[in-house]
Amino acid sequence: MGSTHYNPALCATEGCEHPALTGAATCWDHLDYHAGFVDSLDPSNLANAWLVGIDASGRDWSGANLENARLSGANLAGTNLSGSTLTRCFLDGVDLTKANLSGAEMEFAVLGQADISGADCSNANMVRSNLVGTKGHGANLDGAKLYYSRPGCADFTGATFRGADVTRAIFRRAILRDADMTGAEGQANFDRADLEGMTQ
Amino acid sequence: MILKHFRLNPIEVNCFIVGCSETKEAMIVDIGEWVPEIPAYVEEQGLNLSTIFITHDHHDHTDALADAAKHFSATTVSCTARPGGVTVDRVVGHGDEVTVGNLTGRVVDTSGHTPVGVSLIFPGHVFSGDALFAGSVGGTSNDDDYNQQLENIRKNLFDLPGHYEVHTGHGPSTTIAIERGSNPFFV
Repeated sequence: MGSTHYNPALCATEGCEHPALTGAATCWDHLDYHAGFVDSLDPSNLANAWLVGIDASGRDWSGANLENARLSGANLAGTNLSGSTLTRCFLDGVDLTKANLSGAEMEFAVLGQADISGADCSNANMVRSNLVGTKGHGANLDGAKLYYSRPGCADFTGATFRGADVTRAIFRRAILRDADMTGAEGQANFDRADLEGMTQ
Repeated sequence: MILKHFRLNPIEVNCFIVGCSETKEAMIVDIGEWVPEIPAYVEEQGLNLSTIFITHDHHDHTDALADAAKHFSATTVSCTARPGGVTVDRVVGHGDEVTVGNLTGRVVDTSGHTPVGVSLIFPGHVFSGDALFAGSVGGTSNDDDYNQQLENIRKNLFDLPGHYEVHTGHGPSTTIAIERGSNPFFV
């Protein structure tokens, strides 16, 4: 169970209707100290934070607590989020290419339309996660827990799911070309998915 | 807005508490099981649980309606008169408004999964019951119902801003943009 408390004040910039970032007076677009703002964040204390659109690419946020946070559209390319808590976190449309999400807690996380290509999601808990339209070319999901997840229309070309739990995952119309599902456990729904070259 | 999620009963139905941060007045959206964590959360947060809203008349969303209404002395609201066999205080339909503190929700028709079903839209947040899911839609019993459901979702939900969060009856939450752009039943 999780709770979300969204009380973001509006951006202080006149005419802007976007919410302000947690810990700032403005939204990301109207912030004039991007790097300094990200430096000021304490990754271990970002539960419920509003961080839409930020650029924290390449940062070491291992062990971060981002439970219930909203980071839609953010740039987290190459960010180290290993062992972090991302339960119910909104990561829709986020650039997570080559990010390290190994062992992360991502139950109920929303990764729809995010890009996790080349990311390491090994042994992540992605139970009940939203992966609708997610791009994950060559992503490593070995040992990930994907029970009841929703990867409909996702593109996992060349991704690996070795030993993952895919029970009740709905891969409807997903692309799994050349994906490696060796040792994956559980019955998933592959209705109209592209399974060409997939190893089972 | 205060938003709390509970995952209930063996078939994993979602239940939400929506609250006004300013007045602490709150509402339950769907309640398929009575668990002590619900009243405990209400008490812990000092909320005045004034309303219970049911999106559609299926037992997994209504089984604890009577218990919750009695416990909280709450006003019951639904799109049918007797969801789960409980006579509700107010029957609502497309275009009606439901308030909780300073928040105003708008009811829209998302029938199809059930003969009558609704979603509730607050600024930035949609509660879609079993009409729209992350990457899926609710089950229907014939082609007419299926087409009606898709049409209602297109007409009444997909016209919302893309950043709106959609809190569904089962499974993970999503956004309007994700479902409009990538839901396999629509693209």
